[in-house]
Amino acid sequence: MGILDETFRVAWGDLVYMKGNMIEVLLSSLVGPLLYLLAFGFGVGGNMEDPAAYVKYIIPGIIALTTLSATFSTVSMKILVQRLFYMSFDELLLCPIHISAIILGKLVQGVARALISCTILLVVGWLLSPQVVISPWIFVLIIVASMMFSLLGLLAGMLTNKTQTLTLFSSIVIIPMTFLCGTLFDSSTLPDGISFIIYCLPLTHVSNLMRGLMLPEYSIGLDSIVIVAIYVAVLFSICYYMIKNNKC
Amino acid sequence: MTDDIIIRGKGITKKFGDFTAVDNIDVEVRRGEIFGFLGPNGAGKTTTIRIMTTLIPPTSGEIEIEGHTVKGLDDPVKEKVGIIQQHIALDNDVSVRENIRYHAILHRIPRKEAKERMDRLINMMGLEPYLDRMAINLSGGWKRRVAIVNALIHDPSILVMDEPTAGLDTQSRHMLWKLIRELNSHGTTVFVTTHYMDEAEELCDRIAIIDHGKIIAQGTPEELCRELGSFAVEYVTEGSDKQYRYFHERSEALQFRDSLPEGAQVTTRNTNLEDVFLELTGRENTQAVQEVEYRI
Repeated sequence: MGILDETFRVAWGDLVYMKGNMIEVLLSSLVGPLLYLLAFGFGVGGNMEDPAAYVKYIIPGIIALTTLSATFSTVSMKILVQRLFYMSFDELLLCPIHISAIILGKLVQGVARALISCTILLVVGWLLSPQVVISPWIFVLIIVASMMFSLLGLLAGMLTNKTQTLTLFSSIVIIPMTFLCGTLFDSSTLPDGISFIIYCLPLTHVSNLMRGLMLPEYSIGLDSIVIVAIYVAVLFSICYYMIKNNKC
Repeated sequence: MTDDIIIRGKGITKKFGDFTAVDNIDVEVRRGEIFGFLGPNGAGKTTTIRIMTTLIPPTSGEIEIEGHTVKGLDDPVKEKVGIIQQHIALDNDVSVRENIRYHAILHRIPRKEAKERMDRLINMMGLEPYLDRMAINLSGGWKRRVAIVNALIHDPSILVMDEPTAGLDTQSRHMLWKLIRELNSHGTTVFVTTHYMDEAEELCDRIAIIDHGKIIAQGTPEELCRELGSFAVEYVTEGSDKQYRYFHERSEALQFRDSLPEGAQVTTRNTNLEDVFLELTGRENTQAVQEVEYRI
């Protein structure tokens, strides 16, 4: 209870910012995924034999990638700015708050953004393709996945000391993940070596799980659940270690 | 007496690689005093404060606050301490009111009590006209005032200030001195670092001077001046820079003055804290560059 209470105390500052800038938050979270839906669903998909089937296929993928796009850059940039330019991250560390609550509190903004954006995309997806299944488990997956990518953002924001480094990390890790991790096409068609790398990346498993939950013809892989859980645990532990040992 | 010591640092050492920023220092701050921590740039003042406030762990040594050994980042003893950092630390994306409210929330102050404290501190710092402005749009002096309110919102018994008046105009400095004295008169212990000797002389009951990571002098401003020699002779002879000599007796100072060659420009006066500081720390400042490099 203590940690939960402290988590929301930490999150309050970011949530106030979100509340005051909701349009900006929604636009920055939704424009990308909606463009993917338009470009791939209707552009690329329009030239396929069964365009409707492709739209149905990519809806879970786009929702999965939204859990990444709505969280990583926001959380990482916010932490970087609060650490290096506003110095307000230190203020947080100066308060008597548990380290776990600081970490979780800093994830709340990312999770909230992902929940709002993914809910809107779920509605759009359902309107475009009413065969998709919507269940409460989808929201559980959105929360867990957005926590995982927010943790990745928190870690990147703590590790980097320049905005350029963060941009480079996005270019070599985040953007390839966005396209290659089974969001817009089946990654098993890629060459073996690349396929294995893709399998190790977290977005692949979020895509697989989302597809398993939303499309009856796909199954939910236990390996994906385990891998996502491992990512969350490892990223949380590294963030905890870094804050505790003043490595940020 | 043990109870009189509110902050006790024992053997604090901090190394960054092979550079020792703080070198086995002992600090004792008495309850209810204003303690000044002076030193040139890079002497180890901010590093000491960051250790005291758990932002960085010491390489060795320990800090006690109110008799409790500070264990780490989430130690509840931090509730007793308010900190004003050297760099103004505000969340620039939200308003002044929200910045202050956020600190009240982080410190778990009940809503009604938080409102009362906010109103009192906002009034004290003259922040009413700026409450709905984004923090980013304030000048440095007004941002500093917001940072002070943030540091005081949980009513700490110890206030740690790292160069609080750096970059402030004269009016704001005097306002801050008045505030520090007022808080101190209500029982708040103040630990302050500063570059300004007039500030230290004006405010501090006791002073420690740190240089190259070591404490090189400690005492009241009067004691430190007396130790150096209460009477200063400041003189310039032909072809030389300004020079200083210090004497314990006035008669010795006058005798020295009279012995100077004709044409020398001489001033005889009481020794001040700036004399003590410059005599003890000299004018070299290579450590500042080293410490900055290590911190980067």
